[in-house]
This record gives sequence, C-alpha cells and structure tokens, in this order.
Amino acid sequence: MAKMKFLCDEERCIECNACVTACKNEHEVPWGVNRRRVVTLDDGQPGEKSISVACMHCTDAPCQAVCPVDCFYTTEDGVVLHDKDMCIGCGYCFYACPFGAPQYPQEGAFGSRGKMDKCTFCAGGPEEDHSHEELEKYGRNRLAEGKLPLCAEMCSTKSLLAGDGDVVSELFRNRVVRRQGRQEAWGWDTAYNVK
Amino acid sequence: MKYLFLVTLMLSLSACYEDADVTMHQAGIYKGKVDNHSQTAEQREAILAERFGQVQTDR
Repeated sequence: MAKMKFLCDEERCIECNACVTACKNEHEVPWGVNRRRVVTLDDGQPGEKSISVACMHCTDAPCQAVCPVDCFYTTEDGVVLHDKDMCIGCGYCFYACPFGAPQYPQEGAFGSRGKMDKCTFCAGGPEEDHSHEELEKYGRNRLAEGKLPLCAEMCSTKSLLAGDGDVVSELFRNRVVRRQGRQEAWGWDTAYNVK
Repeated sequence: MKYLFLVTLMLSLSACYEDADVTMHQAGIYKGKVDNHSQTAEQREAILAERFGQVQTDR
C-alpha cells in the first residue's frame, strides 16, 4: 500500500516560493496561516540551500501522539489528517511537530487561537469528498480527483516531490547517482549547460 | 394574564436549550468523523502512481 511522502531536493530548490503561493491559492488559506514555507540556509552566500517545508505526514506522527483529544488519524495512503470539529486549538501539536507545520488562525473579536490548520497533502479531511464543508474546513481534495499535491506538481525545477514514498525515493536515488556529488543549481556548468 | 406570561416564559426558555451531545474521550482512540473514499486504496495507488509519472519525473 502506498505511503504518501514529500521530499524536497535542496540541490534543485531555487526559493521561488511558488509552492507556497500555489498552496495558499488552491486551498484558499486565510491570512496569517502558511501550510507550506520555504526555508533558506546561508541566504545570499554562494552555496545557499533552500527547502520547502510543510507537514511531512510522519509515519509515527508526534502531533498525533500528543493530541489531548485524539483528533488526528492516518489514512490508508499514509496521510496524517485531523478532524477540525474535535480540535480544541490547544497548541500541543505545534510544540510536538519538528517541522512547525500546525498553524492556528486568529478567530473572534480578540484574535484568539482557532482550530489547528495544516497541510493535508491535498487530501481534504473527514468530511464527504468534494463537499462544501470539506472545501471550507480543509481545502480541496486533489487526491480524490486522482491528482497529487499542487505544490509538487507545479514545482518548476521538480525540486519538491510528492507521491508514494517508494516511487519518490527511487527517483531521488537516481538523481543523486547521476549528479555524482556535483551541485545542480550552482556554478558555470549549470549556466552553460556543460553537464 | 398569568398563564400567558408562563407560556411566554416557557417558550423563551426552551430557545435556550443547548445540545449536550458530547464525544467522550478515550486515550489513543480517534472518535471523529470517518474519512470515506470512493475508491479503494489499491485503485488510488495505481492512479496516483500514473499521475506521478506524468507530472513529476525528471526532465
């Protein structure tokens, strides 16, 4: 059975933030909530590295382990989702997550912390597929449409990969072997297509 | 007049009813809505693998 995973190839990411924009647009994510973000190390220095980070849909998810109301579940595809009707917005999952994936919209007149929102691997939520409730609470359900997450599908350099972990790792392994330790996104070889 | 006041009071108080249908928590057990899919996991796997081959392979 497939276990859906994200993988970001830091040698290819050019920090264009298109994945972030695509995610926000696709799911109509409110202001102040970022289901995905691009993190850059050594910004501005030669050899800088960027990776696109969101919920990594951990096999043994720490958010799921610490949730006091057990609102998380893992689908047959290995996608970690949660029921917003059960979430109490306590914030435990935010502290447990090593990727900073859980996000909390401000709600009410005083901007109190609302129910947790995170990347759904474009798999919607526990509401009926393609229903208005699912769209409003969790965003679009692209997996039910036979599509993969938009952030990965529209990545121009194919840095961000999303799919079955076995297929993704096989593709990435071939890339690493082909590169033979060389960098892909930096240097004259890239600019003048010597490779 | 007294009865009319009582009837009005009863009707207005009945509007204050709150649904007390709560989910009792049990540690480690998910009690939220069930996520149903129209296809089986095997069907989805095949469809998504084909999709991966179409849009995410190296150029």
